[in-house]
Amino acid sequence: MNDIAIRLQGVRKAFEGHVAVHELSLDVPKGCVFGLLGPNGAGKTTTLRMIMDIIGPDAGTIDILGRPADRTSRDRIGYMPEERGLYARMQVDEQLLYLAELKGCPRADAQRRLGPWLQKLGLADWGKRKLNELSKGMQQKTQFAATVLHDPDILILDEPMSGLDPVGTNMMKDVLVELSRAGKTLILSSHQMETVEKMCDRVALIHRGRKVLDGTVAEVKAHHGKNAVVMAFEGDGSFLDAHPSVASVNHFNNYVELRLSPGADPQALLRAAAERLKLSRFELVEPSLHDIFVEKVTAAGETLPEEAAQARS
Amino acid sequence: MRVLRVVRREFLERVRTKAFVIGTVLGPVLLVGLTVVPGLLMSKAGKPLKVAVLDEDGALGTPVRAALSAAKVAGNLRFTVQDVPGDRKALDVEVLAGRLDGYLVLPKGALDSAQAEYYAKNVSNLPDQRLMDNAVEQAFVKLRLAVEGLPADKLDAVTRRLDLKTLQVTKEGSREDKGAGFIISFVMLMILYTSMLMWGQAVLSSVIEEKSNRVLEVMVSSISPAELFAGKIVGVGAASLTQFLVWTAAGIGASLYAGSFATGLNLPSLGPLVWICFVVFFLLGYFLYSAMYAAIGACVNTLQEAQNLMFPVMLPIIGAMVSFPIIMRDPDGTLSVVLSLLPPLAPLLMFLRVATVPTPLWQIGLSIVLLLLAIGFVNWVAARIYRVGILMYGKRPTFPEMLRWVRHR
Repeated sequence: MNDIAIRLQGVRKAFEGHVAVHELSLDVPKGCVFGLLGPNGAGKTTTLRMIMDIIGPDAGTIDILGRPADRTSRDRIGYMPEERGLYARMQVDEQLLYLAELKGCPRADAQRRLGPWLQKLGLADWGKRKLNELSKGMQQKTQFAATVLHDPDILILDEPMSGLDPVGTNMMKDVLVELSRAGKTLILSSHQMETVEKMCDRVALIHRGRKVLDGTVAEVKAHHGKNAVVMAFEGDGSFLDAHPSVASVNHFNNYVELRLSPGADPQALLRAAAERLKLSRFELVEPSLHDIFVEKVTAAGETLPEEAAQARS
Repeated sequence: MRVLRVVRREFLERVRTKAFVIGTVLGPVLLVGLTVVPGLLMSKAGKPLKVAVLDEDGALGTPVRAALSAAKVAGNLRFTVQDVPGDRKALDVEVLAGRLDGYLVLPKGALDSAQAEYYAKNVSNLPDQRLMDNAVEQAFVKLRLAVEGLPADKLDAVTRRLDLKTLQVTKEGSREDKGAGFIISFVMLMILYTSMLMWGQAVLSSVIEEKSNRVLEVMVSSISPAELFAGKIVGVGAASLTQFLVWTAAGIGASLYAGSFATGLNLPSLGPLVWICFVVFFLLGYFLYSAMYAAIGACVNTLQEAQNLMFPVMLPIIGAMVSFPIIMRDPDGTLSVVLSLLPPLAPLLMFLRVATVPTPLWQIGLSIVLLLLAIGFVNWVAARIYRVGILMYGKRPTFPEMLRWVRHR
């Protein structure tokens, strides 16, 4: 199976008192952008740490690029942990070269790639500065540079967008798309599903250490059908809560996202809404991954952790 | 070898700091200040004191003046006796005006009462006062013997003073020791002690810094915690050895220099074995204790939290310092030998024995072997605690928890 970048089979990890990951199996094909999604505490970071051999699994196997994971194969991965961290009092360029060397990358190669990367991330003038002289956003970019400087085949980014301003988020997105086009495999882990779902080819949703569903984004969404509606309007939309076609509503001031009850007729809802509200938009859409996740978890009779409910706000 | 990259970074990180440069330079400067400068000062001990003798008795003035004029320190005369007439009031004026440093009053019947008084502006100049005391006493003794009828030509022979020299017996032959040996052993012990603590603290604070920077998760995704642990201890150790060797070289230089000219201090020349042991026991002590410091650093989030955990580590070091008198009193006694073989105490106490008495080589060798075994064990335990601790944030673990980490797969 040479087209699989990372394969987890029956991986399990328990800490004192609780099981963080249950029998997790995942295939991440080469060259894809893979979203590992789930609320805080779902076991995402633990899974990534096991892939990086920071902690060992209690059971199960992890293969990287077609063979059992060892240090050489892990050198082909760039890992950006959720808890960002670098040496505060070390110069940016020295620090990046050092971390690349620790990944087994010859210094000359890292040196050659350093300039272009700093340029691309807007850090060109900051290479000789100490890290703690940089702004928070620039430190984030430095962290990203540390993840890619050894030219890995696989990138694992835990909450890649957190701590970035809108400009930074956009730049990060562009860089990730570029890396994906260059054939790199990307694993993006996030509890904010909207921020990464647009970029992913494939996703796995996990909850309480178990995989809830996985597949390509198109498959996942097609499976759930277009059962969601977004509306923008002027007027009082509170009647929607009680309308028989509506399963649930998420109110934003003059904007709602709602899910239809099974078998409900969207046209009937449109007519009802048009009578009472001044509509400027009524659109039948695919549900968001977040909605699918919520549906899956609640259908399984489980209560939703608070973070999942808050994640979209 | 990636661990060498870590060693290199840790070494450069330490060596480039101002504190390191200042410490490395200042150490020898202090050492020179403490050894060579007093030696120089002693050998050129200022100008002789101008003193006058007020002889109220009438018969004592001349011999006392002669005795004072002949009193020497390290070959130099200490007193120039001025002939100033007048009573105490007149002499007080001279002293206050600075024309005299002081004057000696020999009251009536001083020979029998054995009383004399010295008046001076500076009355805390103990060595000179002792010298004066001796000179006057010697003059008195001669006078009393003369009164008893001893012939003048026998006086010097009868009153010859005892010159007790302390000589240390070593394999290289006897050597004279005027108490400086004790001071030097003590100073070297203090340097060893503070260096071990200082570099252990350096390891501790750098582990805590890495932990609070959250850089460790990035590091251990590239190299194993054991490599990181080893790299840090060896890298910081290389920096500490650099500084320690500079200090040792300065110490050897200072002792050769001080030994090269005749000073009142008369430093004993330390054999090469002492200097070798100085460096070897520093390194062994460093590797023993810094591993413990690294493990503590991995378990805490701040330096303050580390204080409580540090006590058990400090205990043997303090214990060794407390045992200092035992070793000094009886360096070859059974208790001394046993204490100096115990690995936690050995870096300090075995060195102290080597510095004070000729210690059998087998004992030195045995203590090194025991230390190496202890270092292996402590580093193994510490690396396992470190491995778990560096990714744990939040509550500080208890000792039972840390033991579980050691056993953990």
